[in-house]
Amino acid sequence: MAKLKIQDLKRIRDESKRTVLLREGTARAKVTIHMGTCGIAAGAREIMDQVLRLVEKHNVQDVMITSSGCAGMCSHEPMMTVEYRYTAPVKYIDLNKEKVTKIFEEHVLNGEPVPEYALGVGSESMY
Amino acid sequence: MPKLTIDGIEVEVEKGTTLLEAIRFLGINVPTLCYNDGLTPYGACRLCIVEIGKPPRSTIVSSCIYPAEDGLYVRANSEKVIKLRKLIIELMLATVSSSKTIQDLASKFGVTQCRFEPEHEECIHCGLCVRMCNEQMMSGAIAFAQRGKDMVITTPFDKTSEVCRQCGACMYICPCCELRCQGPDAETTVCNGCLNLEPPCLDTYEDKMCFLDPCAACELAGPFRSDMKKKDEA
Amino acid sequence: MKPERTHILVCTGTGCVSAGAFDIMEALKTEIKKHNLQEEIAVVPTGCNGFCENGPLVLFEPEGIFYRRLSVQDIPFLVEEHCLKGRPVPSLMYTPPKEKSPIPAMKDIEFFKHQRLVVLRNRGRINPERIEDYIAFDGYMGLAKALEMSPEEIIRQVKVSGLRGRGGAGFPTGTKWQVCREQPRTPKYLICNADEGDPGAFMDRSVLEADPHAIVEGMIIGAKAIGAEQGFIYVRTEYPLAVQRIKKAIKQAEENGLLGEGILGSDLKFTLSVVRGAGAFVCGEESALMQSIMGHVGRPKQRPPFPAQKGLWGKPTNINNVETWANIPQIILKGGEWLAGLGTENSKGTKIFSLVGKVNNTGLVEVPMGIKIREIVYGIGGGVLGGRKFKAVQTGGPSGGCLPESMLDMPIDYESLKSVGSMMGSGGLIVMDEKTCMVDVARYFTDFLAHESCGKCFTCRKGLERMLEILTNICEGKGKEGDVELLEELAIMVRETSMCALGQTAANPVLSTIRYFRDEYDAHIREAICPAGFCKALITYSILEDKCVGCGACARACPVGAISGEKKQVHNIDTGKCIECGACAEVCKFDAINIA
Repeated sequence: MAKLKIQDLKRIRDESKRTVLLREGTARAKVTIHMGTCGIAAGAREIMDQVLRLVEKHNVQDVMITSSGCAGMCSHEPMMTVEYRYTAPVKYIDLNKEKVTKIFEEHVLNGEPVPEYALGVGSESMY
Repeated sequence: MPKLTIDGIEVEVEKGTTLLEAIRFLGINVPTLCYNDGLTPYGACRLCIVEIGKPPRSTIVSSCIYPAEDGLYVRANSEKVIKLRKLIIELMLATVSSSKTIQDLASKFGVTQCRFEPEHEECIHCGLCVRMCNEQMMSGAIAFAQRGKDMVITTPFDKTSEVCRQCGACMYICPCCELRCQGPDAETTVCNGCLNLEPPCLDTYEDKMCFLDPCAACELAGPFRSDMKKKDEA
Repeated sequence: MKPERTHILVCTGTGCVSAGAFDIMEALKTEIKKHNLQEEIAVVPTGCNGFCENGPLVLFEPEGIFYRRLSVQDIPFLVEEHCLKGRPVPSLMYTPPKEKSPIPAMKDIEFFKHQRLVVLRNRGRINPERIEDYIAFDGYMGLAKALEMSPEEIIRQVKVSGLRGRGGAGFPTGTKWQVCREQPRTPKYLICNADEGDPGAFMDRSVLEADPHAIVEGMIIGAKAIGAEQGFIYVRTEYPLAVQRIKKAIKQAEENGLLGEGILGSDLKFTLSVVRGAGAFVCGEESALMQSIMGHVGRPKQRPPFPAQKGLWGKPTNINNVETWANIPQIILKGGEWLAGLGTENSKGTKIFSLVGKVNNTGLVEVPMGIKIREIVYGIGGGVLGGRKFKAVQTGGPSGGCLPESMLDMPIDYESLKSVGSMMGSGGLIVMDEKTCMVDVARYFTDFLAHESCGKCFTCRKGLERMLEILTNICEGKGKEGDVELLEELAIMVRETSMCALGQTAANPVLSTIRYFRDEYDAHIREAICPAGFCKALITYSILEDKCVGCGACARACPVGAISGEKKQVHNIDTGKCIECGACAEVCKFDAINIA
């Protein structure tokens, strides 16, 4: 690497920030894709890939993507929970690629839930 | 030119003077073992300790290596220092009881007991021989090796020295090489031969008749005369 | 390329490495590749997390889920369950000693919850061998800011922060920097003291292994403030991983124009090199350390003149401890007042402690100054191991003293610890229980110091030797009346007349144990009993008749065949053969072995 100037420092910081921000645990929104066996069978893997592609497309740095186990409502898989900071988490059911895109752009990025795709509002304990 | 106070006396000295030099300049008596005028001071024996600063924020330092600084308040013979010196001499007796220098120090400073098991070593690790060989004889054949309890004075890797000229300066300067008056097979750790000694020549003359210090009459007067009783036998 | 969604942070401090952390990392990478997740899940090596007894440790972010005591066999299941199916694995999580359910999130675990990470802020979250990781968390931004400040302003911020030397003496850092800056002679030097000789202390090692760039940045800022052009990091040779990481950090900094000529495009010039120690505790003392760097034997020198006035090669030298240097970048970046907001009136900021001994959660903790000892031992530490009774806590390593139960509510800061006969030292905190013999503790530290003394001062060398002799006699049942008084006299002599801090603090273990645990000394001497049941010469092993069922387990365990007895009959120990090894007590299920 070349000799750095102060501007270079800032640039490297911003570039590396997205990668390491994961480690800080602070985010604008947290997206949990339910990937129990039922979820994977219903296509949760593709939902996960889709979400990651959307993250890359919109170049967001502060969205947490995690997976969790079976949520219990196996008949409505694939499912995804979106928790926008300071607001209650929202569970989305019967997902497909189009619904995911809309949910991502409206709820994850802007904090506006999409009621027609939601199951209900409220948190669940994961363990 | 630093100005400092020693035992209540204000004195101004050249920059670079040590406390010991300033103290002795004023004629105040402070004992030393590892100090010699012709060699760089080392500060190993800790006998020359003095108290600087005003209690309760005073500290004890060895005066032979401490620089005389402006505004210092020095007490060369405070109660604390005197008590510490006695314990140091007691420990020295327990280490090398065969040394005349150390036995003389004991008598001079009133050390009459030794509560430690004597070790009967032959070296007090004062470093005079090392400095003598290095600085005056320009040889540097011997030095300290190892650390702490295992410290010894020896040639590099204990090999026979090629730079030693056998001048004997190390033996000359060594305080332990001069054996105590009683000889090397002493029964007691503390000799105290010249403690509270009145030179017997004063029985006959009005002045002390020799320059020996202490007077060699300890061999005639002290605990070795059969008609003299020891203190605890009285 | 897919963006990553999970980072698995594997602790690779020396402790976890020796427990197999690198194998765990390889296993994780293999399993993740097997499930084709390698583009979304990254495995990152980090520095020490501090929860050392529970290693190997792994942290999953962003969920913040913490796994401990992992072995290579656990990894396939862990990856399949957590990474693929999104089901964290409770059996691999941390469960507090008396509880049944595990605590998944690291931030909820008592050990981590109460800590305040300033110096250790990057532990467990950056790869110490990647400068980009360091920069990502505002690394070198403190330097960027410092380059636009005047040296006087930098020193002023350090003074405002109230930072005091973390090596043990607690001298105000800003004042030291000022004295060095005002010296007319050049060139000036900077030294980082990473010798860390206290037995059981590993604070500095952790910082060097977890966040080496923090030291580099701190020293470059110091170079600007003081006007130094060359710096040395003196690391003890017993820290190979730390040496490797700091050397790599220096090389990366050089390659990026952060060391050498024209730092970050300014006209600041500074070079750093690493000097390794050779196994002497006394070389952690600043004047002996400088002698060692210059190639001489590590023997302390009289101060004054102080290193800031006359140090390396007679030139002004500023020497600070690793932890002190690591505070500097954040002080400059966030302002001195920010650090002054933590801690107490006279002891600002945080301190890293190595909490070890008979405590449930051993490891490295960073807490604000002023925290009570009780909070560290019972809150973070989880209480005394095995539910035994607390007896004492030893602070400050061989230079410190033991504090009894009555001091548990004392706040930790420089002055309060000194006032009760101990000291902060480098931050060791050893917890002792009822089975620890305090006379033996004094003997252990005196033995250490007697071996590590450079030997120059007669009083330190001989004084410690004689103190060790008396203490060993007491532990072997050969103590006599008057020994304790003689011990005190010797200890005070060593303290008052020694030239360097090794001797000056050597009296602390002995004097503090005599002060607070005199009864133990008296029991050893007058009754030939060791109340803690530890000193071999004073304890006898016997079998309690009413408890022994004659199972013979003890006889089988005894390595010297000292136990005899018929089956189902009360067994008997031959005290002439018994070597007091304790093997019988360990196997007896009926509590029938009596140690008194």
